[in-house]
Amino acid sequence: MALLSIRNVFKSYFLHGKRIDVLRGVSLDIEKGSLVSLIGASGAGKSTFLHVLGTLDAPAAGEVLFDGRSVFSMNDAEIAEFRNRTIGFVFQSHFLLPEFTALENVAMPALIQRRERTGAYTYARELLERVGLGQRVDHRPGELSGGEAQRVALARALVLKPAVLLADEPTGNLDPATGEGIHQLLREVNRDLGITAVVVTHNETLARSMPRRLRLAGGEVSEA
Amino acid sequence: MHSAERRTVHRWTFIWTGALVALVGFILLGLAISASEAWAEVSAALGLSLVGWGGVLQVFNAAVLVPAQSAMGGAGAQGSTGMLLSGTLAWLAGWGLIAAGIRRATGPGEGASPAAGAPLYPRLARYRDFYWSTLGAYGGGILLAEVALILLQTVLSSGVPSTELGGSAQNVGGGLSLPPTGAFAISLVVACTVAFVSGFIGASRAQRLSLPEATIGVLYLGLPIPIVLTLMERVPSLQLSLGYRLREVTYVAGLLGRPELAYWLVFTALVLALVLGINTGFIAAGSGRVDLKLGFELFVARRHVAVFRPSLLLGTLAVLMFGIIPPLLIYFIIRSAEAAVERTRIRALGLADPLAAALDLNRLKLREQSPTMMMTALSVGGVGVGVMALIIVLSVMSGFEADLQQKILGTNAHAVVSKYAGELPEYPKVMESIGRVPGVVGQTPFIINQVMIASEGNVDGVIIKGIDPQTVGSVTDLPSYLLGGGKLEILYTPEKILNRGLPEEDDAASPEPGAGDDIIRRSGKATKPAVLPGIIVGRELAASLRVVVGDRVNVVSPLGTELGPSGPIPKSRAFRVAGIFYSGMYEYDSKFVYILLKEAQNFFEVQGASGIELKVADIDDARRIAGQVVKVLGGYPYRARDWGEMNKNLFSALRLEKLVMGIILSIIIVVAAGLIVATVIMLVLEKRKEISVLKALGVSDGGIVKIFLAEGLQIGVAGGLLGLFSGLAWCVFIEKVGIKLDPEVYYIPALPVRIEPVQTALAVVIAVLVTYLASIYPALKASSVEPVEGLKAE
Repeated sequence: MALLSIRNVFKSYFLHGKRIDVLRGVSLDIEKGSLVSLIGASGAGKSTFLHVLGTLDAPAAGEVLFDGRSVFSMNDAEIAEFRNRTIGFVFQSHFLLPEFTALENVAMPALIQRRERTGAYTYARELLERVGLGQRVDHRPGELSGGEAQRVALARALVLKPAVLLADEPTGNLDPATGEGIHQLLREVNRDLGITAVVVTHNETLARSMPRRLRLAGGEVSEA
Repeated sequence: MHSAERRTVHRWTFIWTGALVALVGFILLGLAISASEAWAEVSAALGLSLVGWGGVLQVFNAAVLVPAQSAMGGAGAQGSTGMLLSGTLAWLAGWGLIAAGIRRATGPGEGASPAAGAPLYPRLARYRDFYWSTLGAYGGGILLAEVALILLQTVLSSGVPSTELGGSAQNVGGGLSLPPTGAFAISLVVACTVAFVSGFIGASRAQRLSLPEATIGVLYLGLPIPIVLTLMERVPSLQLSLGYRLREVTYVAGLLGRPELAYWLVFTALVLALVLGINTGFIAAGSGRVDLKLGFELFVARRHVAVFRPSLLLGTLAVLMFGIIPPLLIYFIIRSAEAAVERTRIRALGLADPLAAALDLNRLKLREQSPTMMMTALSVGGVGVGVMALIIVLSVMSGFEADLQQKILGTNAHAVVSKYAGELPEYPKVMESIGRVPGVVGQTPFIINQVMIASEGNVDGVIIKGIDPQTVGSVTDLPSYLLGGGKLEILYTPEKILNRGLPEEDDAASPEPGAGDDIIRRSGKATKPAVLPGIIVGRELAASLRVVVGDRVNVVSPLGTELGPSGPIPKSRAFRVAGIFYSGMYEYDSKFVYILLKEAQNFFEVQGASGIELKVADIDDARRIAGQVVKVLGGYPYRARDWGEMNKNLFSALRLEKLVMGIILSIIIVVAAGLIVATVIMLVLEKRKEISVLKALGVSDGGIVKIFLAEGLQIGVAGGLLGLFSGLAWCVFIEKVGIKLDPEVYYIPALPVRIEPVQTALAVVIAVLVTYLASIYPALKASSVEPVEGLKAE
């Protein structure tokens, strides 16, 4: 059975009273451990699709099943916990919390779970070393470069070893060389940790390097 | 069905016609009511309609009261009944038309959307408009809290027979007979807990705030009892049927002087407890299960608003202690000196290494405070000022009250036992029985009456009291009030008064050493003065009569008459001033004189005594002990009144004053709470992105609410603690250093201060509660930020 199943999902936006259907009955299965890229024109609804997949946004109709369980039939608190334990997000901007150091940012998902602080910090430090930022643990996001911040964000997404990693143009704000480093990391994560990853990207080369490629156009998803 | 688009359709013809018909009905009703002159009854209903009870009560009025009146009015009122009926019908028909004019109709749909047939979004499918169980929890909770308060208050303090109705005093079995105020405190705590718990249960079960349910519950189930209690004052029949049962409740409420104010304050407290319970329940259940841990939320909140920084705390404390200008001046001096030093250092550094200087410049820039920081400091200061003002003013008012109480109780007994009518010839026996009541520590018989007192210089109306010098000291402080080392026992040996009086003349004549005194004394010396019974007068009276110890005064009683040569004349006796007392209360020092009990018995032809004054161990327990005494004496015809009852108006005025002062000063805290609302809203706006990120990381809505509540609470706690420190510091300052008062006006040389721990703690608790309540709205706003909202790429 697929890890993630999307069943007939609809999502619309309202602009000046007019309905814009972004997703029109999308149905899709994503297998466990797969590495999927999603491409599409700007404004095609890639981010919306990813947000629905990650429970950040609710669909107007349809279901998202995780391991056969309908995620949107859970209550708010359960959804929050699901998001915390099962999904890791990486966005185009790093979206690190500016008041906290890199280490605290990485440990944040564990702290939300009320895990014990020293343990969380130890693992977070390990992860930061793994993404090559062992020297920057006590820096605030404002003191990190774009690439560094994005690596911190990746470490944060991985700290609870989520089942699914959702990346929304993670290299969109970075130069090609730095971006390639992030891509490398994503592939490693998928290969070494077995984390299912869906990566939204504009980068055709990156998309082509992924085992499975999806294209979102006209509110429908097709294999590319 | 899913595709059917429903919308509200207004049929304006219906609505306008309905409004017109309803207006006609209203006018007809008004005419009918005017015709039968029933406005008095209806106005109450109209008033109540403001809180939602109008409909029911108006129908009740129209159906019962007005026809009853018109039946009494006879034939003339028949017309108004018809008008009443048609008016009611028109009124109802009008509203019916309006209701018919607003309809939900199937609109012209755009055709089925592509999603038709897809399963409905599950949370939408589960959605319900109204939770009856929540309404039950909220409404039942507030009702239960009120009933619990009344029952507990009655049970806990029953056993205190109403001293006013000594005969009907009942020995209620099982009554715990606690002092009424203590019983009230316990009942209030229990009732607040009940309200809190029911709000908590209702909100945590439904996992939502359910504001409509809370409003309906409070309005329809919570309001009736306070309304009935308030109306009881005005409606005699209600008072007759309920007054006896609610005796203890009305007594406690009456301590404030304005019972209705007390009822509504208690009601407000209960509603607040309910609101707190609802909010706490909602937040605690926000993470799916009841969870009161705050570790993570505090961790985040403390980074967002760093309230507990030494600079902020010390700065605010300095402002609270020394005013705004001096600390600000010092701050600016320090800052400018610091900045000058820093600039010099960086320039020097720049000459050596420009890059290092750039780094330092950048660091200097980063140190600039954000507007939210400034707002935070202002909010902390605002709460601090409120708490400080509350503590200082209430402490000073407590000081005045304590001073007054001490002076009243110094001169007066804690309780007085007497009979409903007549004297107490059997007082030695009664005193023996009273002595066995636990809690009574002193007693003395007395006779009291009003007389005229005349000296050679002046005349005054005074209250004369016959006392027993041996026991009076065990009840009042009169012996210690005597000036010049005088002793009450001198009343037994009147022949010694003259000898004692002379050496002390300088001392006693200090207020007005007039020439008249010399003349009197000389004349007194010339002829051998007669031995007269002694009398003790107050300092003010002595001054106005221009007498000193050893002088002669005449006491004239308007009641008894003696037969003189020219018919009946008022009874008169001559006394010699045996001592002068000074209690510090102008009223006593100018209005009271004391003579021997035996002299009073003879003078007023009283058998025994008018009553017995008691001193009890715990003055707050005086009411209960007075009740016990009456019980021991066997009830009627004996009765006992405690000091609170005897000085009820004075003390209830003081309490009311303090309460109103407290409420007025709490407005400062409310204003500060407004500042907190603004600050937290600014924080929410500033942190929109962070809120979205936290949600994406898996913080639940409840967690977000907790974070922002914690931010508001931090401000409240910091402000409350700073206010507490500065308030206490000011109180100590006033107490130790003192603020001088004009003793001629206030009779106290300096501003009195009495720090009452409960009241002081209450000021801080109120401040924290108000800030908590104030942060609820912004915190809820924060939790409603959609995750995707802040996650849009920049």
